[in-house]
Parts: sequence; structure tokens; C-alpha cells
Amino acid sequence: MTGDPGAFATYYPTLLRYIAVAVGLAALMFGVYRLLRRLGVKREPATGFVLVLPWIVGFLAFVLFPIGLSFYLSFTEYNVLWDKPRSLEDPLFNYKRALSVKIVELPEGQRPLQALGVLESPSPETVRFRELDRFRWGNKTYLIGATDPFFLKAVWLTLRYALFSIPLGLVGALGVALLLNQKVRWVGFWRTLYYLPAVLPAAAVALLWFWLFAPTSGLINSLLKPVYQLLDMQPLGWFTDKDLVLPSFVIMGLWGVFGANTVILLAGLKNIPAELYEAAAIDGAGNWMKFRHITIPMLSPALFYNLVTGTIAALQIFTQQAFIPTNRDDGWFVNWFVYNEAFNFGRMGYASALGWMLTLLIVLLTLLIFRSSSAWVFYEGMRRDRGKG
Amino acid sequence: MKKSLYTLVLALLVLALLPLPVLNSSARAQEKVTLRVTNWAGVQEAAEFQEIVDAVNAASETFEIVYEPKPSDYYTQLQTALAGETAPDLFWLDQDHMAWAYEGVLLDISPYLANDTRDVANPDDYFPGVWQTVALAGGVYGLPWIAQPVVLYYNKDIFDEMGVEYPNADWTWDQFKEAAIKLTNENHYGFTMNGWPPIHMFIWSFGGEVISEDLKSSPIDTPEAMAGAQFYASMIWNEECCPSEQTIAEQGFAEMFKAGKVAMFMGGAADDLDRVEGLNVGISPVPKGVNGENVTFAWTAATVINAKTQYPEQAYEALIALTEGIHNWKIVSPRVSQANVEHLVASEPRKAANAEAIIAAVPYMRAFRIIPRFGEWSTIFWEDFQAPLFHGEDTVENLAADARILLEDVLPK
Repeated sequence: MTGDPGAFATYYPTLLRYIAVAVGLAALMFGVYRLLRRLGVKREPATGFVLVLPWIVGFLAFVLFPIGLSFYLSFTEYNVLWDKPRSLEDPLFNYKRALSVKIVELPEGQRPLQALGVLESPSPETVRFRELDRFRWGNKTYLIGATDPFFLKAVWLTLRYALFSIPLGLVGALGVALLLNQKVRWVGFWRTLYYLPAVLPAAAVALLWFWLFAPTSGLINSLLKPVYQLLDMQPLGWFTDKDLVLPSFVIMGLWGVFGANTVILLAGLKNIPAELYEAAAIDGAGNWMKFRHITIPMLSPALFYNLVTGTIAALQIFTQQAFIPTNRDDGWFVNWFVYNEAFNFGRMGYASALGWMLTLLIVLLTLLIFRSSSAWVFYEGMRRDRGKG
Repeated sequence: MKKSLYTLVLALLVLALLPLPVLNSSARAQEKVTLRVTNWAGVQEAAEFQEIVDAVNAASETFEIVYEPKPSDYYTQLQTALAGETAPDLFWLDQDHMAWAYEGVLLDISPYLANDTRDVANPDDYFPGVWQTVALAGGVYGLPWIAQPVVLYYNKDIFDEMGVEYPNADWTWDQFKEAAIKLTNENHYGFTMNGWPPIHMFIWSFGGEVISEDLKSSPIDTPEAMAGAQFYASMIWNEECCPSEQTIAEQGFAEMFKAGKVAMFMGGAADDLDRVEGLNVGISPVPKGVNGENVTFAWTAATVINAKTQYPEQAYEALIALTEGIHNWKIVSPRVSQANVEHLVASEPRKAANAEAIIAAVPYMRAFRIIPRFGEWSTIFWEDFQAPLFHGEDTVENLAADARILLEDVLPK
């Protein structure tokens, strides 16, 4: 504080509100406790419930309510600067705008834009089909048009990112976990070291990688200099080269391999009973056999958990991109695209619809992984029960 | 133990509430309302702005300004604050964001201006090309505080070395290009561009428009507009006169000029390019266009009032006082009556040597025409016209025809 009475007067209401919230929550907790007790709930469960109550209130106000509101907004036209959203003549307009695709023939001498036309739907603005791709069939040229090619490209890029980064990440994390499970000197130190990435703020890490990847002054290219000279090639442009944007992000994403994922797998490894290995050794199993038939099945719940959380995280990639400028045409992930629509183009309604479509995609993929789990995830307890029956 | 803890917490809560009545009574005694103001200023700029705020506060009997600089994520924060109705009473917007006026979040100050005889409140004292960024949607939505024309910085040593005459206001674009080619050798380039300076000013200079005066069309496919765009495309990244895209990416843009590797650079009049250690730099207006004027782009920004301010009258008074203060701080002041060498040098003594050339550039400067979906329009203009044109992906005719359709989809109907 500067000692300026004006400044104090400004921030004082905030302090008051802060205190009011605390007092209000305390009163609510007290009231709910009384109510629960009167309803015959025992002392301990009542206390427990009341203690999580502030969290539940926060969850309702700051998570569930925004989720519900964004669902409603996705059927409206809304700029955050407006007092309230405007209703759409066609409530599904935002969804149609994102997903409409059509294939038309490109007549000789016409420009693609003319041939593709506009979206025939009552809408607050003109939505035009843009060329996504083209192909030849017979001796005619056909255009694939989309009303939002950038969104579709962003979805495609995000899916490819997930496809490459998740398996690489899992294998890497497993490798590190296996290493850290060995009896080496200073194992505590190594474990701490490999957990560090999880502690560092994502923004700082993103900036760091951006510098590492810088085409001329970056560390990666200066390390690769001898290789470039040997192969007589131009230094790679990394994030500035549209073909290398995806690999760059994948390499950067591998950083997350260390940290929480490794710790979870390591804990899984520690939980595998030594008797299993001993028994296998007596039966003459080699290292590979042990790894393939004991380690992997016993670790499969942990791998499954990492796969699910990894998939969700990969599809939601945002922070890295916020610090690394890439080209909208071939370098944007879905979440960054959504952010841009909401805050730079003032289309919160459309952005909400895009967000919900991303959610749907994530849910579908997660369900798919869950469905596949019965084929490869092995729960010790479950099998034992089945054996008993 | 437990009890004393409760007592302590309760006592602290009571203590926290105590200053409130005291403050209220003192505020009533002074009858000063508190106004919040924000902008994107970093540390140094914010300290200078605070001095203006202090002076304004000292002189005011009706309001007290509290300044809250927000140097990062400015526009995202501001939008969220506006949506949550916690935005400051006054804030800065650059011309790209003046489109917010169309969304109803800015206060129309035209009724106040009509009854105000002070110079700073006189629309006629502002350069028309700059005033149009606040006078839109049938009202006036703020006061411009800067009008920084793009000028031509030139490295005198390279000109002397190559035996080329220094640029002057009579240069045509062809002479300019010729000189840029002549000034290029293995040690330095004549000129540099990478999307900056804005292509708009080239199109204007060649007699074209990117958005028509009625805001209903984007006639970028007229012969004049295409000539301007084509001229730009003929120079950008063309190693006859200018560094390639790759070279700029590696060595920096303005950095190359500062390093003495580029002879001419178009920058804002307030830039520090003419006070680089060891560099002998002059300033000239940009070359003149088809109608004989040195049309140039003006970077401008305004202070605006939140439409939901509790104290519109005091906020207006604060706006006037702040704007007057900034006009004596930032260069170039957007006011006709202040467009002279004395005023400019008084505001920024370090520009004394080149003040005349800057003042010569001022009459012909223009800012963007502000339309409701300006951000989106600009994105299309870059992605569907400039970028493919500069990379030689199609002819200017084809690109202009396509881009016009897309740009006009965004324009108000």
C-alpha cells in the first residue's frame, strides 16, 4: 500500500467482501451442521460433511455453474461485452457453423469461393464455405468445403498431437519408472530430480522450450549444428516451420513424462509382490518374460490411469500454445482456437459450442479407452475373486 | 486455548471493519469520488503516467483517481472485468479495440463535449484522420491521446557510403524503391518490411481504400488498391532491396536497422531508432503518393469512459484533465493546435533534431476506419490477402477478388 487514502478506499470493499464470504460460509456451515444433527445424522459424518461444504459451494459456483452456463450460451450469440446473450433464430447455428462440410464440383473458370457458396441457415452473420481441400476424380476437380476449416484443422492437429504424444509419453514414463526402481546409489535424489518437472509452472516451462527451440539462438539448434553441417542442411525452423510445429509440440510434451506419471508408475512397480518374480525365476523365466508377463499386467491399472489422464490432458493442450505463437492455418490446437474466438473475435456463444464439442470428443475417446480396458487391464483383486468362484 | 483463538479471530474481524465509517465520513467531508483508471503501461511508463495522475488529483476537488496499470493480458483482463462489471471507470483502448464502442460498453461523451469550450474538448482541434477512431456509431467514445505517424528513419552513413541523396518529402515511391535497391550490397539492405509498415498506407497512398467511408465495402480489388498492394509485395522479402523472411526471423526486424544492416526503416515517430549509440540517423516523411500527399499511417489510442461508471460527470472531467496531461507527455499530440516543433520538443526533448520532419509528416496521417468486427476483419485481411500475396501464392487480382468477398461478409450490413 502506498499510504494513499484513495487506494485504500478502492481496495477496502474487496477486503470487506472477502470477509463477508468467509463469515457467510461459516454461518452456512453452522446452519447445515445444526440441520443435519436435527435430522438425526451422527456427529462425525455431520462434521465431515460440513467441513467439505466450502469446497462444495465453490464447486457449484465456480465449476458447475459455468459449465451449465456455457452449455446454454452455446445455443446463443454472445459477446462478453454485451449485457446478455442474444437468442439465435436457429439454436443449433453455432454447431452447424463449426461442422458443416460439403463437396462440390469446381466448374472451369470459377473461383473456389464462388463455387462453395454460403451456409443456408438463418444466422446473424454470413457464413461462407471455405476450401478445406480439393481432389480430382475423373477429369473434374472437386472441392471439400467447410464453414470453419480452421476449427476442423485444429481438431485434426489436436488428435494427431494426442496420437503421438500419449504413447511416447507412456513408454518414456515407464522407462524412467523402471530405471528409478533399480537399486542405484542416491535413488532418493534421482527420484526428486525426476519429479521436479511436475513442480515447475507450465508457463515458465513453455517459455523455456520456446527459447530452446529458437531457430538461430536456441540451444537445440546450436547442439545440432555439427549434424546440420555433416548433412549439409539448413537448421530446422521448429515452431516457425509449419511442418515441424507438431513434432516440436510433441517433443516439448514429452517433458511431462517425468513428474507425476513416473511417480504413479513407480508406485505401481513397488506394489508388485517380489514372490511373483521369484516364482517366475524358479520356473526359468528370463527378464523379458518377467517384464512381459508380470510387470506389464501388474502395472496395467497404473498404465490405464495414465492413459486416461494423458488423453484428456493432451486434447486440452493450451498453456504451451499461449506462449508459443504459431500460424492459425496449421498450428493451432482446439483450446487455443476456442480462446481466440471468445476473446479476440467476441464470439463467446460460438466458443462455448466449440468447447462442448471438444468435451464430447474427450468423453467419447475416454469411453473407448474404458471399453478397451477389459481386454488389457488386469486387476489383481478381481481375478482372484473370479478364481474363487 | 481454543477459546482464545476464537476471540482473536473475532477481534481481527471487528478491527478490519473499523476503518469503514471513518473513511466514509472523510470522503463525505471532501466530497471527492474515487475513479479507477487503467492502461497497459509497463513500469517506466506507469511511473510517468502516475505523475500525471498525481497532478490531476491535486488539482481536482470533485474526484480522486486511483491508477491500476495492467501491463500483461490487458484486453482479456479488461473484457472479463467489463463482463463482471468490475472494470475501471476510465481505460485506454488502441484503435484496433475502439470497435468496442459498437458493443455498448463505452460512454458517449458527445453531450459533454457540446457544452465544453476547452480546446482539449474541441473535436475540430483533432486531426480528422485520428478523430474518426473515436467518433463512430453516432457518438464520440473517448479522446485520442496520441497520433504517432509512421516516418522514414534513414541511416545517413549508409547513404553517404553509397552516394545516395538523403530522402525528402518530395520522393515518389518509385524513387524510394530505386534508392532501396541502390543501397543494397553484401553488407546492408536498403529497406525492410515484414507486414509492418501496414499495407494500408501503401494502398491509401496509391489512391485506394481498404474500407470505404460508409464502412459498407472493402474495395481492395480496385486498380489503385491493387497497385499499392502490388508495390508492397514487390519489395517485401525481395533481396534486391530488402532482407528475406528468414533473415528477418534470424536477425530481428528493427534490430537490423539498429545494427546498421538496413539503410531505411519505417517506424513510429516516437520510436527510439534515432538515438541508437553510434548510428547517425535522420527522419523524413514517407514518400508521397498519387495525389501528392505523404499519406502515412497513424498509430493512435484513446482514453475512454466505462458506460457503467457510477460517476459519469466526474469521469468526464477526469478524462479531460488526463488527456490534457498526456498531450504534453506523449508524442505526437493528436491536436492541430499542438502540431508544432516547440510543443513536440517540450514533450520529448530527445526528438529535437528530427522534430521538423515529424511535424511535416503529421498533416497526412490516417488511422484505421473502425468497424464492429475489426479484429476478425484484420485477421482475414492478413490471412487471405497479405500473407498469400507476399508469398506469391496467387496473383493480386485473384487474391483481392476473393478477399473482398470474405472481408465484406464481416462488414456491417
